[in-house]
Amino acid sequence: MNRSETTRSFTMATWLGWQVESNWTDPFLFAVYVIIKPLASAAILVVMYSIITGGAYNSPLFPYIYLGNAFYTYVGAVMAGVSWAVIDDREHYKTLKYMYIAPINIPFYWLGRGVSRFLIGTVAVIVILTAGVLFLNVPLDLTQVNWGLFFVSLVIGVTMLAMMGLILASITLMVAHHFFLIGEAVAGALYLFSGAIFPLEVLPAWLRPVGYAMPITYWLELMRRSLIGDVAQAFPTLAQYSNLQLLGILLGLTVVFAIVSVFTFRWCDHRARELGLIDRVSNY
Amino acid sequence: MQANPSLVLRGSPKVSGWRLFLKTIVARAYPRVIGMQREKSWLFFDVFLPMLAVSAYVFVYRAIGAPEEYVGFVVMGGAMTAFWMNVLWSMSSQLYWEKEQGNLALYIIAPNSMMAILLGMAVGGLFATALRATAIVIVGSLMFNVTYSVASFTQLLLVFFLAMTALYGMGMMSASLFLLLSREAWHISNLAQEPVYLFSGFYFPIKSFNFWVAAAASIIPLTLGLDAMRQLVFPSGASLGFLSVNVEIAVLIVLCVLFLIGAKFLLDYMEKLAIREGRLTESRR
Amino acid sequence: MTHFAIETKDLSRIYKIRGNKKEKQIRKELVALENVTLTVERGELFGLLGPNGAGKTTLIKILTTLLAPTSGWARVAGYDVIQHPNLVRPRINMVSGGESSGYGLLTVRENLWMFSQFYGMPSKEANQRIVELLKMVGLEDRIHTKSSDLSTGLRQKMNIVRGFLTDPEVLFLDEPTLGLDVGAARDVRKLIRSWLEADKSRTLLLTTHYMVEAEELCDRVAIINKGRVLACDTPANLKRNLQRDAIFEIETSPLNGLTPQLLQNQPEVRKAALTDIEGGARLELILQEEAALASVINILTQKNVKVRRLTKREPTLEDVFMDLVGQKMEDVEKEEAPHAG
Repeated sequence: MNRSETTRSFTMATWLGWQVESNWTDPFLFAVYVIIKPLASAAILVVMYSIITGGAYNSPLFPYIYLGNAFYTYVGAVMAGVSWAVIDDREHYKTLKYMYIAPINIPFYWLGRGVSRFLIGTVAVIVILTAGVLFLNVPLDLTQVNWGLFFVSLVIGVTMLAMMGLILASITLMVAHHFFLIGEAVAGALYLFSGAIFPLEVLPAWLRPVGYAMPITYWLELMRRSLIGDVAQAFPTLAQYSNLQLLGILLGLTVVFAIVSVFTFRWCDHRARELGLIDRVSNY
Repeated sequence: MQANPSLVLRGSPKVSGWRLFLKTIVARAYPRVIGMQREKSWLFFDVFLPMLAVSAYVFVYRAIGAPEEYVGFVVMGGAMTAFWMNVLWSMSSQLYWEKEQGNLALYIIAPNSMMAILLGMAVGGLFATALRATAIVIVGSLMFNVTYSVASFTQLLLVFFLAMTALYGMGMMSASLFLLLSREAWHISNLAQEPVYLFSGFYFPIKSFNFWVAAAASIIPLTLGLDAMRQLVFPSGASLGFLSVNVEIAVLIVLCVLFLIGAKFLLDYMEKLAIREGRLTESRR
Repeated sequence: MTHFAIETKDLSRIYKIRGNKKEKQIRKELVALENVTLTVERGELFGLLGPNGAGKTTLIKILTTLLAPTSGWARVAGYDVIQHPNLVRPRINMVSGGESSGYGLLTVRENLWMFSQFYGMPSKEANQRIVELLKMVGLEDRIHTKSSDLSTGLRQKMNIVRGFLTDPEVLFLDEPTLGLDVGAARDVRKLIRSWLEADKSRTLLLTTHYMVEAEELCDRVAIINKGRVLACDTPANLKRNLQRDAIFEIETSPLNGLTPQLLQNQPEVRKAALTDIEGGARLELILQEEAALASVINILTQKNVKVRRLTKREPTLEDVFMDLVGQKMEDVEKEEAPHAG
């Protein structure tokens, strides 16, 4: 692979993505915009929890849900960021065709377009976690955090999400511009299977295998364990696995998804060019 | 040169008034309906996936041991989110795309009403929306054994009708923003998802909020619409209701009038402002 | 009812240009139109001729109720465009060159039918007219093609049909042949003429920066530059003023630093324009007297510039423009490129 082409594609797309995401308003409004959505999502779960439990924030279930939801922000951000770039470039800016004929690496270009949403997501995660610690007794003690495990899991996890985003972006090449956001729809649906806001045992037995096949499940478990080890282990779902085993599974599934993403991209790219979909405007 | 006979306009005169209004709604709904028929991928993304997302909230309640009626609340809230999404994405934000594509200018110079164009977009998307809502209710109810006990079908239909009228009125009001703004308004729409899910009580009764918070949230028609529908449909709904159904119906009627008049006024006002500022045809991507 | 289809009086439009983040405080203003006063009679084919950025599109936007003037007024089909847009709109339609309007997932017929409904046309009649008009522009074989599958030129044809479909009293065509090939542009010009001939009360305002198109089609032409109308008359009358003059085109070897200004300084050389061509230059000269040619040749000889070809020709609208503005239209466009609009 031509390294300079890859790097160029990624960095240029990162810059472009940031411009597109952020330059529509002044920095203050942008900052408010960035945190309101994820905070509202978290607040929905907090209200649901507090209504039923009468505000039992000390139960291990609460930080389980709270942290799972906080890090799930990344799933929506990366998946929507990467896949939206396809629609935005094709139907709005009408530049997808020019990106295609430029000497760049398209998958890396799309991944770069997702970076800005990832950064925005990071701010949101930090804000949600801070709010949890300050107001909701989330037992997060920075001195107790397993930072090594945290960063390794974060890096592998984000790579895994990027691969899933790439699969979705490739599929988006084949799909018309619908009036809703495909990335958010997929992220919303995967919420069900990833053990983000409830342990997989709560799912009917026939649905659980989907959750076990999802790398997000293992990633979220690792994030919880690295931040609040004891509480996370209060749930039996993945308790039989050590941190290292979980990392191994996550890494393995990330590789699988990376391979799938390469083949999906090749196939969708081929079909899209065969059907002449690269420069279409499908607005309806 | 001989004048081409086909260029001499024959036939009946063009219609105007309410008949033009209806024609416009049908015409703008047409691309939506046809588009959905030609690109069926929406069935997966707009019906199947949201159904899964709604289920996730049901399982949260199961995980924290909530009483079973909350499962019904989620199913109903999930179904109603479809209408909010329709307003947000297929009506308000769609104007952004129309503007960027050059269609907005053509809508403005035509003798039709902008309200009819917006309603056309919404009506066109309504099939998908209704399908999504119905699928969530049916599958949700079957999967999670939700039991209903409707207190009054008449009131239920009335509440639904009023909530929808006020909701689409509000949607048209907010769509007027797009005449003046472009990308900013799109982001505002995007922002109006989760906070509205929160304050309208899509996944829990708004009675859980402080009275004033719930009262302020009632400005969004779905808040009271949903609350009243839950009271009318679930046995324990009334005890968890924010206000009595009759009061909620009265407030919804006020909201309907307010939003429909507001929409007409704001669309006219924003159009004039946009014409003065030169914003109708600009593309600020 | 007034016999004017279009009337404008002292119409001006100033755009406020918003600066970028760093220049937020600096509010720039761009004068797009300045005191434009025009009348177009019913039944007329009126042309607005000017380079890119001259203000043609701004004028069309005002006349089609999309933009308010900063000062002055305009009436279309007898109604003020700002006071009574709702009375103007049923009577007009507009097509802009190079536009991408319509819905990609709809076929040509469906797109056109949809727009006809916004004007309240009976569906059956709309469908009949769609077929007839598509035939006239040679697009009938694509009637069931999705518009996203059309080439740019064919999509442009579809949009032109959209304009004619609703049979407006006043039709605005903004650069309608932009991007069309020669044959397609000819079809469109033919449609324009036939449409006007079929009903003498129809009016058409056309903007173009193709001189030949304006000359060939228009009953009257307004030449517009930097937001101001410099002249307005029939093409023949506009050219007549130049017929007393002698117009020459000279192809030469490289000019060795000779500038048009130097030639214009000569008595009786009214205007001189220069275009670089392969291996030399082409001079276009408007001379008050044919005799002035001798002094021009003299200067060329002094500068060691060889004359390769010399032609005398009849005036064109391009010459009229050059005479009014002092530059050729393409030279103005080169200078104005950043401010197109």
